[in-house]
Amino acid sequence: MKGDTSPVPIGSMVPLTGPAAADGAEFRNGMILACEELNARGGLLGRPIQPIFADTCRQSAKEVVAAARWLIEKHKVHAIVNGYNIGAQNSEYEPIADAGIIYVHANTLLQHHDTVMSNPDRYFGCFMADPADYWYGPGFIKFISWLRDSGQWTPNSDRLAIISGSTPYSIVISNAMANAAASFGWRVCFGPKIVQTPTSKWRDVIEEVRATNPAVLANTHFYAGDLAHFQKQFVEKPMDCLVYLQYGAVHRTFTDIAQEASNGVIVSSIIGLLRDEMGKRFEARYKARFGDGSTPTIGCQSYGNMHHYAIGAAMAGGSGAPGDFEQNRKVAFALKGMIYRTVHGTIRYHPDWQAVVPYPVMTHDPSLGMPHIFYQIQDHREPLSMIAPEPYNTERFVLPPWMNKRSAKPKPALVNSRGLTDF
Amino acid sequence: MDDRRTSLQGGVVELAPIWDGLDAIDIGILVWSPDRVLIYINEGFHRGCGLPVALGMQYDEYVAAVAQSHEWVLPSAPDDWAQETIRDFGVINEADYQFATGNIMHVAQRPAAQGGMVVTFTDVTAVKRNERELREAKEAAEATDEAKSRFLRAANHDLRQPLASLKILIYNCLREQDEEQRSEILHAMGVAASIMEDLLGALLQIGQLDAGRIQPRITSFQLSDLFDRLRIQFRHQAQEKGLRLRFVTPNKTVSTDRALLERILSNFVANAIRFTEVGSVLIGCRKEGRGLRIEVVDTGRGIKEEDCDRVFQEFYRVADDNRAQKKGLGLGLNIVMRLAELLEHPIRLRSKVGKGSIFSVWIPLGNIWHSENGLAAEITEAVAGEFAGTPVLLVEDDEILRESMAQLLRRWGIDVHSAANEENALRLVADGAEPELIIADYNLQTRTGLDVINAIRKAAGEDTPAIVVTADAEPKVINGIREAGVPVLIKPVSPPRLRVLMHNLLFEPDVHRQTGS
Repeated sequence: MKGDTSPVPIGSMVPLTGPAAADGAEFRNGMILACEELNARGGLLGRPIQPIFADTCRQSAKEVVAAARWLIEKHKVHAIVNGYNIGAQNSEYEPIADAGIIYVHANTLLQHHDTVMSNPDRYFGCFMADPADYWYGPGFIKFISWLRDSGQWTPNSDRLAIISGSTPYSIVISNAMANAAASFGWRVCFGPKIVQTPTSKWRDVIEEVRATNPAVLANTHFYAGDLAHFQKQFVEKPMDCLVYLQYGAVHRTFTDIAQEASNGVIVSSIIGLLRDEMGKRFEARYKARFGDGSTPTIGCQSYGNMHHYAIGAAMAGGSGAPGDFEQNRKVAFALKGMIYRTVHGTIRYHPDWQAVVPYPVMTHDPSLGMPHIFYQIQDHREPLSMIAPEPYNTERFVLPPWMNKRSAKPKPALVNSRGLTDF
Repeated sequence: MDDRRTSLQGGVVELAPIWDGLDAIDIGILVWSPDRVLIYINEGFHRGCGLPVALGMQYDEYVAAVAQSHEWVLPSAPDDWAQETIRDFGVINEADYQFATGNIMHVAQRPAAQGGMVVTFTDVTAVKRNERELREAKEAAEATDEAKSRFLRAANHDLRQPLASLKILIYNCLREQDEEQRSEILHAMGVAASIMEDLLGALLQIGQLDAGRIQPRITSFQLSDLFDRLRIQFRHQAQEKGLRLRFVTPNKTVSTDRALLERILSNFVANAIRFTEVGSVLIGCRKEGRGLRIEVVDTGRGIKEEDCDRVFQEFYRVADDNRAQKKGLGLGLNIVMRLAELLEHPIRLRSKVGKGSIFSVWIPLGNIWHSENGLAAEITEAVAGEFAGTPVLLVEDDEILRESMAQLLRRWGIDVHSAANEENALRLVADGAEPELIIADYNLQTRTGLDVINAIRKAAGEDTPAIVVTADAEPKVINGIREAGVPVLIKPVSPPRLRVLMHNLLFEPDVHRQTGS
């Protein structure tokens, strides 16, 4: 419609209440900032973009599906753009596919691939703007192997212990870690052991791990508070091993609870704000808009997705309301074809999966993948240190304070009777 | 010269048109009188040769002019050539001369009936070029033929290793009673077969190696993966000979062509096993510069110093009187050498007679971040999905539906035990299936899905979660199932809905109970 200046309604399903409310607030902020910036430049082909938020609360399938229905039926949204909702298990894809609108999320779920590929025509509008949870596994294994092989750390053995939370997300990551381990010279000595989560009681499982004397201990549960208790209980009587905690430990809540015990912990995110010029300028804008206490590294997810969607819709000649399959297919085509560099790296959708692929685990070209970022908490009062991957890293790995200082420097190589080196 | 001659028909004709005709042809013609004076030059000679000749010239004068002109490449010193040529006046003679322009001229002289002589000059440059091209094509064809024969010999040599393993494995498998051992042997057989397949592919490439058509594909990968393959390939052969085969596996990423490096190393290991009677074969690495030197160390008979270079020559075989055992054709190490040259990976041999040999190859280190994930490169839910490995019992009497549902569940990594009826299902449980979830059709032939679920629960555990699927959308039926506390899905079952329900039942039973979804 030429000359149409009515607002374009864009839905966003965010947990504004419940356990993930802190993330939800940032996802909302990211959407608000993106829409404000887009509208200041004339909106979507002259139409202002109006974000509409639906609370997904505990992010259960029922709540997320209800949110999607409410946005589609009541607000006639042309697209749903948000961060993640853990627990919906793709059930929200059904009302969205029925309506034929665009859906961009960061659910980090391997099953997105399966769902989209099972019926590409039906799920043409569903896009996952971050890599699947699975990639945390091989990415982590390569990371610890890189530390080992580049001489930054000398493990006391090849043993790897894996503790998993009880959510599918944690289980998938644990399985993927265990699968990749052997190829890179690691032996899974413990687990993946599934611990019923949420929980703050970890001492029993830590004692079980101790008996296996690992060189690396990974916990794939992801609640910040639970992980903080894990780390505090670990340092009561630490082992000579690296500690990796899944995503949740990037949150301020983690260091607030774990305090000094956090120092040395390694944590990673398959999606996060980069610290280059572009990232820093975004951070400044975000904090100016939402205050110093806001977290741009989480808000950047919905922010980048919204900008990418708006450009795609503009390329397609406009967005499509529920039922306008034809227009929305054009938008989907534009999103698939456009490689977009945003503040947290590159959004490039895999042609079959309609999901972003990770760098450097899957693509070796940083311009074609989203960086899987590894952080280390080096001083709990300071921002996390970004230690990998190149070219995005800003700091280097340091040996955690609880570890044996001896392993800071490479030991003389073990030599067998024939003089061959055991690496 | 008289311009009139008698024609074949006896009439008298003008000769001018004949001279014109001779001028039109490309062959140059010189005619000398019996007293060695030049009496005829056609136009073809002027066009093709451009030598300073004129009618009335003496033959000696002409030969001297040619000898000094530098227009011809002469086969001997100009004076010698001139003397010889003058001496041969009137003799049948012919030769090819290269001209300064690069053309090749065929010069032929023939005596005339009355004592004079005719010399013709024919430009054979194009003919000579064609001849050369034909010769080259023939040589190339012969080389290809030779390469083919070499390929066949190499195929014979290299396929022998995994084939030998396979024969041993088949023999062992036939006698093996233990199911677990048997499946282990079958797995090793599968590996040996895939190694043969890879070898054939590599050999095809080696055939092309001679033709210079091989382009190495350099990638980064974990050396440990390759060592694992070698271990599986050679373990049985070493065992057969009572040798200790040991790999010191490095945790290193290397950057080279995986298949070609494997060819090099498997040749080293095969030779080490073949030429070692007692002791061990050890495969390990040393750091060297920015790379690794992979060494294959054996305690075999060793190689004499003077033979160390020759072992890499084609068809070279160590002289061996004691052993009747048939060996390869001596191509392995030659192939190794050529592959190593192609990859620019230096190879080295150190050896002591009676002590053993160390064959080694140097390869550059790679970037671990770029390392291929090997076999786990396929990302699927079957490998790492949330349901991977979960045992599920599926009861469905329609064979097509049962198979399609089982297929869907397997794609998610589920360990599917499917049965057509209650009896089969109970037998599966009795045989050791421990289902964590039951999916049952409602309208089974003699029983309802609920009956079957209850029967299975008695055998497999009362709290085993279950789902009923039904094509019967009758509200009474559906409510009946729900009242029994079993969630129900209407056919055709939507995969995402099934997934959500399974997820809730398996991982979030509390959520499921609260929402009653």
